[in-house]
Amino acid sequence: MILEVTNLRKHYRQRAGIFPALRSRERFIPAVDGVSFCLEEHETVGLVGESGCGKTTIGRAILRLTPATSGRIVFDGHDITAMSARELRPLRSQMQMIFQDLDAALNPKMRVRAILAEAITTHHRLSDGEVARRIGELLEQVNLKASKLSNFPRELAGGEKRRVGIARALAVGAHFIVADEPTSALDVSIQAQVVNLLRDLQRQLGLSYLFISHDLEVVQLISRRVAVMYLGKIVEMGLADRIARAARHPYTHLLWSALVEGQSKEASHAPLNTRTGAWEPFDFERPVSGCRFAPRCPVYEARGRPAVCTDAATEPQLHDIGGRHYVAGHFPV
Amino acid sequence: MGAPLLEIENLRTYFHSRSKRAFIRAVDGVTMVIARGETLSVVGESGSGKSVTALSIMGLLDAGPGVISGKITFRTDGGERNLLHDLEHYVTLGEQDGRIMEVSKDEAGWRKQVERIMAEVRGKEIAMIFQNPKSALNPFVTVGHQITEAIRLHTPTKHPREAKERSLYWLERVKMDSPRLRFDNYPYGLSGGMCQRAMIAMALSSEPALLIADEPTTGLDATIQSTIVGLLAELKSELGIATLLISHDIRVVSRLADDVAVMYGGTVVEYGPAPEILGARFGLKHPYTAALLASRPSAQNVEEKGGLPAIEGEVPDPIDVPRGCRFYARCNRVTEDIRDACARHEPALKELTPGHHVRCWLYGD
Repeated sequence: MILEVTNLRKHYRQRAGIFPALRSRERFIPAVDGVSFCLEEHETVGLVGESGCGKTTIGRAILRLTPATSGRIVFDGHDITAMSARELRPLRSQMQMIFQDLDAALNPKMRVRAILAEAITTHHRLSDGEVARRIGELLEQVNLKASKLSNFPRELAGGEKRRVGIARALAVGAHFIVADEPTSALDVSIQAQVVNLLRDLQRQLGLSYLFISHDLEVVQLISRRVAVMYLGKIVEMGLADRIARAARHPYTHLLWSALVEGQSKEASHAPLNTRTGAWEPFDFERPVSGCRFAPRCPVYEARGRPAVCTDAATEPQLHDIGGRHYVAGHFPV
Repeated sequence: MGAPLLEIENLRTYFHSRSKRAFIRAVDGVTMVIARGETLSVVGESGSGKSVTALSIMGLLDAGPGVISGKITFRTDGGERNLLHDLEHYVTLGEQDGRIMEVSKDEAGWRKQVERIMAEVRGKEIAMIFQNPKSALNPFVTVGHQITEAIRLHTPTKHPREAKERSLYWLERVKMDSPRLRFDNYPYGLSGGMCQRAMIAMALSSEPALLIADEPTTGLDATIQSTIVGLLAELKSELGIATLLISHDIRVVSRLADDVAVMYGGTVVEYGPAPEILGARFGLKHPYTAALLASRPSAQNVEEKGGLPAIEGEVPDPIDVPRGCRFYARCNRVTEDIRDACARHEPALKELTPGHHVRCWLYGD
């Protein structure tokens, strides 16, 4: 077990006004609200969900890039939840993140060579010759031309930038990588290159990935297990194929049916089995009690809005339904 | 195919890069036809010239010392117009081997001429929706007011109260959640999906003959995407508006398009009926189209947990356009017989079966 997350919470504070006197109206936004999962060595776990559901926040909290509000994160046998920065430092070289927005994550004033050299020397003291050798090795691993080393990030194409981001994560010797939307904003042909690269690296270097994406097809392809998130909670988790084909939570169904429908033109005339209007993303300002998905849930509607769904005392929790498949819902479909 | 509504002939849109002293050939000889009531979808990766084609039609390019040439014929009941009419008088081209080498341009006159042509067309007969609806709407004006303004500007409805009724009608038509409430919202109070609905309402409110939708679902969540695509499909069958749909998402395109044009490196490499181009069973395809379709995860890839058939390399540089086929460097179907032709000469767009055109030496003579 390389990573074990128990009941992780991250609440962001939102101030209602610009004046301190008005801060009494402070609100807490539960971006991640009690999430537990684990990741085995050499495994890829996909994390899917709509924007704003807390996928990225989980990734950042696990790597301690943002402090968790509560919960427990055990990485490689070490409880890192409350570790000091000094204690955490040696572990940092083992876990890295590939950021979604590489225009922001790569320093625009540094050439590729300097970006990689900085990452290499942060954790290991090496001679110039050794750094150069290591850079060469990284280039080969991510299949990037050596001529790109003297380029600035802005001079690189999207796929090349992505490769630099991956190389930088590998540079420190990480074996656990949080990949935050590594294929988004890339062209289809380049997406496939990046997916293949990540798979090859996993095989060669024995990496473990937490693969955050809203691209369901890519997630299904690359992950062994998938966790589906809705508004800060995992609503369903299980083996990738089962999540895709035998999902039990109505939300997972909805996500996947959005995909299947796209595949045939005829299907576009079939009525969507949801209420229009209720389709817009959840508003944290108008929290619902009980099941978070109820306002959009076709099952809730079909069953004549049962009271158990909106009862604050009975918010559904993840439970095992066999075959490493977990669902949080009152009425699994 | 119905009667043609918009015909684009040999459209070339070049920008000039001062620092590189070269032309960026964003659109390099595009020809396509949009028929009345039908949806033509332009598919391609970023930098292939899809959006620039749309902006050229709308006269929305502030091209600086650049060039737009070719012919865009727009036919309505009121007659036919060339949207690039007389623009060539404001531009002097220095050509060499059929390639434009230098340009001098009367910028002010050119701009004025564009406005003269487009004032009657833009927003009225051709409306456009954009990729990022939040930034396309004015953040300081309520959504309802923006739609009302468009109605008073582009339709005979001038009275404020009537215009408001019309905009509420359109908000309902695009299935906006509680339209009366949303009417007084500012764009920041709406989600991405709602903003896109508002944009669609605004575009349709003038009852245009042609709707240009530039990546209308990109950046929206999968579930929202699916409802927006459903809405566009519904509006298309109810209102019969011809649509130019620009998208890189094959799934969206396969749901909406009648015809598809695949663009690569500023040109159309394949053009024809959607089922033939996107379907798996037709063998006559441009290698790029085939590779593009294959590079998305399919049921089979997922089953085998195998790698994806990626297209190696990157899209060509629009400044230094290759002499031969633009896809040559990344193509995996070059045979020894045609290698020479591929590297040296750009193939022409050839009609293989009725209505289905491919630009590739594989289908040469």
